[in-house]
Amino acid sequence: MDAFLEGLMTSLQPINIMWIVIGGFLGTVVGMLPGLGPATAVAVLIPVTFGMDPVSALILMAAIYYGAMYGGSRSSILLNTPGDGSAIAATFDGYPMAQKGLAGQAMALSAVASFIGGIMATAGFIILAKPLSEFALKFGPAEYFLLMLLTLSAIISLSTGRMVKGFIAMFIGLFLATIGVDTQSGVYRFTFGIPHLSEGLEFLIVIIGIYAVGEVLYNFMNIDDDHKKEKKKVGKIWFTKEQWDRSKWPILRNGPLGFIIGVLPGAGGSIASMLSYTTEKQLSKHPEEFGKGAPEGLAAPESSNNAASVGALIPLLTMGIPGSGTTAVMLGALIMLGIRPGPLLFENQPEMVWTLVNSMFVGNIALLIINILLVGLLVKILDTPAKVLYPIIIMLAFIGTYTLGYSTVDFFLLLVFGYFGLVLKILDFPIAPLILAVIVGGDMEQNFRMALTSSQGSASIFYGSPVAVGLIVLTALSLCYPLIIKAFKRRKQQTE
Amino acid sequence: MKKFLFVTAAAALAMVGCSDSGASGGGEEFPQKNLEVVAPASPGGGWDLTARSVQKLLQDNDLVEENITVSNKPGGGGEVGWKYLQGQDAHTLAVNSSLVLTNELLGSSELTYEDFTPLATLATEWQSLAVAPDSEYQSLEDLMNQMKKDPSSINIGVGPALGNDDHLSLVQAAKEFGVDPKKLNFLVYEGGGDVVTALLGGHVDVVTTSLSEVKEQHLADKVNILAVSSSERLEELDDVPTYKEQGVDMEFPHWRGIMGPPDMTEEEIAFWDEKLGAMVETDQWNEVMENNDWSGFYKNSEETQQFMEEQHELYTTLVEESGMAK
Repeated sequence: MDAFLEGLMTSLQPINIMWIVIGGFLGTVVGMLPGLGPATAVAVLIPVTFGMDPVSALILMAAIYYGAMYGGSRSSILLNTPGDGSAIAATFDGYPMAQKGLAGQAMALSAVASFIGGIMATAGFIILAKPLSEFALKFGPAEYFLLMLLTLSAIISLSTGRMVKGFIAMFIGLFLATIGVDTQSGVYRFTFGIPHLSEGLEFLIVIIGIYAVGEVLYNFMNIDDDHKKEKKKVGKIWFTKEQWDRSKWPILRNGPLGFIIGVLPGAGGSIASMLSYTTEKQLSKHPEEFGKGAPEGLAAPESSNNAASVGALIPLLTMGIPGSGTTAVMLGALIMLGIRPGPLLFENQPEMVWTLVNSMFVGNIALLIINILLVGLLVKILDTPAKVLYPIIIMLAFIGTYTLGYSTVDFFLLLVFGYFGLVLKILDFPIAPLILAVIVGGDMEQNFRMALTSSQGSASIFYGSPVAVGLIVLTALSLCYPLIIKAFKRRKQQTE
Repeated sequence: MKKFLFVTAAAALAMVGCSDSGASGGGEEFPQKNLEVVAPASPGGGWDLTARSVQKLLQDNDLVEENITVSNKPGGGGEVGWKYLQGQDAHTLAVNSSLVLTNELLGSSELTYEDFTPLATLATEWQSLAVAPDSEYQSLEDLMNQMKKDPSSINIGVGPALGNDDHLSLVQAAKEFGVDPKKLNFLVYEGGGDVVTALLGGHVDVVTTSLSEVKEQHLADKVNILAVSSSERLEELDDVPTYKEQGVDMEFPHWRGIMGPPDMTEEEIAFWDEKLGAMVETDQWNEVMENNDWSGFYKNSEETQQFMEEQHELYTTLVEESGMAK
């Protein structure tokens, strides 16, 4: 307890509050920009942290990380262009809200949702860090495979009315995920002798290409349409009581869900926010409003992905195991600073851990304020004429792409995926299954093979543990739920 | 609004802008312009940290007056960065490791160590073989005997790809014990961290990885390291026996070095011998090594040349024996 209070005092020192605010703001900005994500921001800052007090460096890096979760949804809402994988779910209802003239309300709601998710997860961190890290260890290859299968089946179930297209999109994504050297056999798949492709496609390039470039190209096709010229309404900046009433339970439910998924190394914000979205859609009394601007469809994944980013710090700090791209970079930076996260960190340097935890409380409050204040400024993006806005988006897309691999080869990939995204939009294909398949495809395949290798080829490993069985049941439910509901309604109608 | 976008764009530009090398300096002697250290990987990884440490130490200790920049050129397990190095002059260096040998042996690259000028071997990590504390295998011999009896009965965690030092160090040890490395059951994880998670969760029986990945866990009694690949026991882990003590005649370093483009002049090589030789003597370098769990392994350009030849021979055999030769 002493260490906790000491940590609170340390995190409230003016210098550390300054780092929290700087980190949070920087995180919000990089989160907003397509391609520039928290991993890049933390990596670029490594040389800066060389001279810093290790505790301040840790606070700064963590603030960038969860700050990006706040920022990521801004561009999803305003431009239909997620800044990162974990912000994809925010496009589903955030962008429709903006189109209805509710952009301000959407951003305020998502900031509050992120805030509550972050605070809940930080509290969870304090109480549950140790037991949860034990739980995460139970996830072997079979369980990871099933978790990813659940995510994919959940996202497919979203494509109501265009199920076949959803499946096609997912399979294209799974195919794209096979590009690169196969780690198990050393075989080069679809690399065409280009060394740059041997490590596989960077999924962020697929996201930026299909969403950002594709969106701009699509809008260019319609730029002369008359109805586009009418000025979009921005609406009020604060959300209504009705929106809040619809969102509050989804926010409270999905904070813990995202937190737990975040603790699993490798799962992270993308899977957490997608699962939250589909869960809420299935629980909702108005599932037909999802995808058309339902406030809870925005609030739930926002609460979830921010909670996941806090959860991802648990395996990093308790076991020295990075659970995401950003935490991997953070681990590298911490080692350079002479901090070795691992089982001994809590015992040897408890004050450092508690300072970080307390800084996350302070940081989430700071980010809530920053993001509410930014709403007024950001909604003006909608007033920006297309001829100014689109070139800027394209430029940012190219810059973001370059920072991912420092290679011009990626520019070609970006353009290819941009045009591909355009075609998908014209043909009205759902994009999310494709993107998610690209994100999880490689891991899913590898975990499947590892599971079978370790069981000497016996499929029993996929139902050999309680966690695995639970995941199978959830997967079956997510696929059959729409059918069950339909049957249930029919019955109800008959009885009435 | 425009102002806001301008600011964010400028910030973005500033973030990517710091990776280009600058203009030339004066003078007839080497170096004549700013220097560049290529990290053939993304920021944050081991190669990047090595490159940035070299940059920082050379400049902080006034060993080199010219500006040094670090450029990240990730891709193809070093291939992209090294290909770039091949076309540069002596003002550009690149960080390397045994991948400069194994890429070619595994058939993923045409480049070999002979396409470059070896300048120095800087430091090394050691390899380790670890099991759960309550494992039925409490010594290297126990484990190897079981592997001999039934090679596929033991699940071995390795990452991020077969053919790396983690894998090949076990190949060498297994061979010494008369185990057929081709029959072993390897589970390929994404990286060293994931391998350790898998061991802690009981999803694999044994892991072969860098010592730094399991050292903290060993000190906390969460894993048991059966063998370390150094010649002598390490100070901070004096309860962990070496391979040598357990009847395997091998020292297996996981070294990091630095090399230059082909056809460097003697004068240029001598310049780097002097500067890098001085750098590894500094206290800061010791600190870097300590933080990263590296051991001193400095070899100058001549020694490195010879070392590379020996290593090439060793790796050719190991890749052959692992069944991965192309």
